[in-house]
Amino acid sequence: MTSVQLAVASGQSGQMSRQMGDNHRRFLQTMMSIGIVDDHGAKALYQHCCETHNVQCPPDRLDDFIETINSKLQPLFMQIRKGMSEDNGQEHYALVNMAQTDVTRMSSDYADNELELFKKTLELIVGSENGTVSSTDILNSTDSMTTKKLKKSETEHLLSRLVHDKWLNETKGEYTLSTRCIIEMEPYIRTMYQDQVSVCHICHTIVFQCQICENPICGIKIHNPCVARYFKGRAEPRCPACNDFWPHEIPEIRRPRSQSRR
Amino acid sequence: MTNRKRLSSTQTPSQSRDEDDDPTFTQPSTSQVQRGLERLSTAQVDQRAAEVVQYILMKDQKKVPVRRTDLVKHVVKDYRNIYPEIMKRAARSFDQVFGLKLVEIDTKNHMYILINKLEYTEAASSISSPTNPKRALLFVILSVVFMKGGVVRENLIWNTLKKLRVDPGEKHEEFGDVKKLVTDEFVRQRYLEYVRIPHTEPIEYEFHWGQRADAEVSRAKILQFMGQLHEQDPQSWTQQYREAHSSPSSAQPSTSSQR
Amino acid sequence: MRKSRGGGEEEAPRQNGATGRRRGSQLQSDGVDGDSAIGPSDLQDDENDMGLRREIRSKYRDLISSVQQNREDMLSPSNNKLTDVLEHANRLFKDVRQTREAALDAQLLVVATDLGKEKASQLFAEGNAFDTATFAEHLLSFMGLNRLEDEEDEQQNERGADGYLPQDAWHRLARRTECCFRTAPTFHYMMGSFHAEPPPPKQRIERQRKVPSAEAKRIMPTQLKKMEESHQEATEKEVERILGYLKSYHQDDPTSPISYYEFVIDPNSFSRTVENIFHTSFLIRDGLARMYLDSDELPCIAPIEEEEEVAAAESSNRKQCIVSISPKTWKELIDVFEITDTMIQPATAEDE
Repeated sequence: MTSVQLAVASGQSGQMSRQMGDNHRRFLQTMMSIGIVDDHGAKALYQHCCETHNVQCPPDRLDDFIETINSKLQPLFMQIRKGMSEDNGQEHYALVNMAQTDVTRMSSDYADNELELFKKTLELIVGSENGTVSSTDILNSTDSMTTKKLKKSETEHLLSRLVHDKWLNETKGEYTLSTRCIIEMEPYIRTMYQDQVSVCHICHTIVFQCQICENPICGIKIHNPCVARYFKGRAEPRCPACNDFWPHEIPEIRRPRSQSRR
Repeated sequence: MTNRKRLSSTQTPSQSRDEDDDPTFTQPSTSQVQRGLERLSTAQVDQRAAEVVQYILMKDQKKVPVRRTDLVKHVVKDYRNIYPEIMKRAARSFDQVFGLKLVEIDTKNHMYILINKLEYTEAASSISSPTNPKRALLFVILSVVFMKGGVVRENLIWNTLKKLRVDPGEKHEEFGDVKKLVTDEFVRQRYLEYVRIPHTEPIEYEFHWGQRADAEVSRAKILQFMGQLHEQDPQSWTQQYREAHSSPSSAQPSTSSQR
Repeated sequence: MRKSRGGGEEEAPRQNGATGRRRGSQLQSDGVDGDSAIGPSDLQDDENDMGLRREIRSKYRDLISSVQQNREDMLSPSNNKLTDVLEHANRLFKDVRQTREAALDAQLLVVATDLGKEKASQLFAEGNAFDTATFAEHLLSFMGLNRLEDEEDEQQNERGADGYLPQDAWHRLARRTECCFRTAPTFHYMMGSFHAEPPPPKQRIERQRKVPSAEAKRIMPTQLKKMEESHQEATEKEVERILGYLKSYHQDDPTSPISYYEFVIDPNSFSRTVENIFHTSFLIRDGLARMYLDSDELPCIAPIEEEEEVAAAESSNRKQCIVSISPKTWKELIDVFEITDTMIQPATAEDE
């Protein structure tokens, strides 16, 4: 079983002194404007950037390439961080901020009351069973806002902006945290909600959308894609922790869309 | 609207008043910087420079230029005696890490913007970068001003936009309040200058290129597109062609410093 | 080259529709009116004819403002509008007798000279002149303008003009012009943009250990209740406020009945009217007010006095009625009852 790490793309080994070139810079600039990219996109981008600047790009060196960028980025409180999509298990790379200071709080992408509502949404999702919250519950939560209350239409507009900016996902009125949001906010969520947040029994990263063991003294959570991979080909699925019968439908492993192209 | 405009244009003198914790920022001399640096570790200076980078990136989200006053007030603070050194290191980070150039567009009021040092290329096919329709609107205005010799009365702009189905008096589905976008947002970002023409009754305004546009927008590339649109050789606009190719700084991007 | 540009300009006014054309014709008809008006008054030769003086001044002002407003059209090399204006001014000048009119004439001349200067500079500009109408035409084509209804009709051009451009028109142009900008990409983040405060204490610590579904069920109802409570509080407040209004109107003149519709209808807002009806229904339900029909069979409303209150509340003889209202009936009621003001002032400020 491969464990999926939501951490810096490995090692501080030997790469530290390597300088960035325009190919790295172009990669970073694209990451700034798109925020997040899946692993296939990242490979394509890596290739594109190297070709544009006539630099060789060994196909298996994406993580080294990113590490070179990160070595220069981390002193500036930023990082390109790897994580997994809760929907399909695909690896993603996101450019994240790592600092929480008076300066970072001056960001003006969202107004104070909009951020308060985002925080409430986050709280509702963290406190929920399976990582989703309905738009109705979000709308109701505006009642307890302490900053300037958002009207219904404003809330709806804000939610669609949050989806557009890739902080939330939405399907049929149910909101979940986006992959970008989970990757960037994981350390924050782990500290702020340490009593509520769960960790996937398989990949050990935080988990929102999941299946739960129904044994009352066990109750472990596993990401849907991790369930798919873990139980694949097993005749009778049993909980990896308590060995009780695993009563949920086992999802299929979702082939990431672009795999067939390669 | 006009109030807002007036406010923003009178901002400059009032700035000196809100520098209460920084009544007279004077550029420290080389020897002062030298002395200041001796008392600090490299890590301390680098850390402060990194915070400057962070602050400028944050401010750049809205493309509003960063004022030195704010930089000193919010980030540089007690390190103001080594301000030039801090800015030097921040500029180096922008250059070496991001491929961006930190430019002081207004040396009198000390305002900074970031521009891209990398040549534009088509994005990788599998990556879809978002396009910003406001850019297109800005392009139209900048083109008209440039092609008309650098100054244009506002009516010409509004009429041109009307021909493109954008009515400054109406809420546009893509641009919202068009008049506000053009005379306020683009002006605060310093893409445009919106200036009152003296002795006009009723009051009239005219548009010029703003300092950001001078640094960031390529006249040569605009002219190239003009040629394509009009199916004409760009050189047939003699004056504009000469102007576009006389200021290499704005026409040709300089290559980023390689290792 | 000149020829091709000329072609573009001829096409331009037809394409850009209403505004240009309307102004053009307005200018012309002004001219015609002017001629016919001046003719007869000329004969009168009366220096003190105030009417004529006023007319001349107003015509001058019209002329000046039309020059200012149609600047671009006048500048266009393809017409003689500037000459037309000057000829018109000459005709007006025949009747100028007083300094105020002469001053207006001078002002017009200043404006016209300025225009003339610009027009001249166009002619002497090196190389190609740049015509914004042609430019706009090319841009529209580039953005994918659908020209199907080209010469069809004027009315269509009036407002629905936007319909001709495809949805992605401006995105298309934005993509093409991106290469003209050397804009730095921007960095956006969520983590660190707000204060990290610990979540409210209500959260359960032992949650993970317990049977999750049962626990969740226990949390849910309390949360729902909380939200309902706050809604309820707001409603109660509003109901009380409305009762206050009802009582004070009743006290002002206890003998005259208060028309129900006049009471609840807010002529400025349909939605507030609906809210008023909703809140007033609580007054009835809770026995704080009663409704009855007056001699004209129109519904009236009155507060129930304290002493009546108990009896009313206990009376089991309740009747129900349903009040329905649509924007259409709302408008009709406003007309019929001649309602100009709301009797229930909207709750102030808070939600603007």
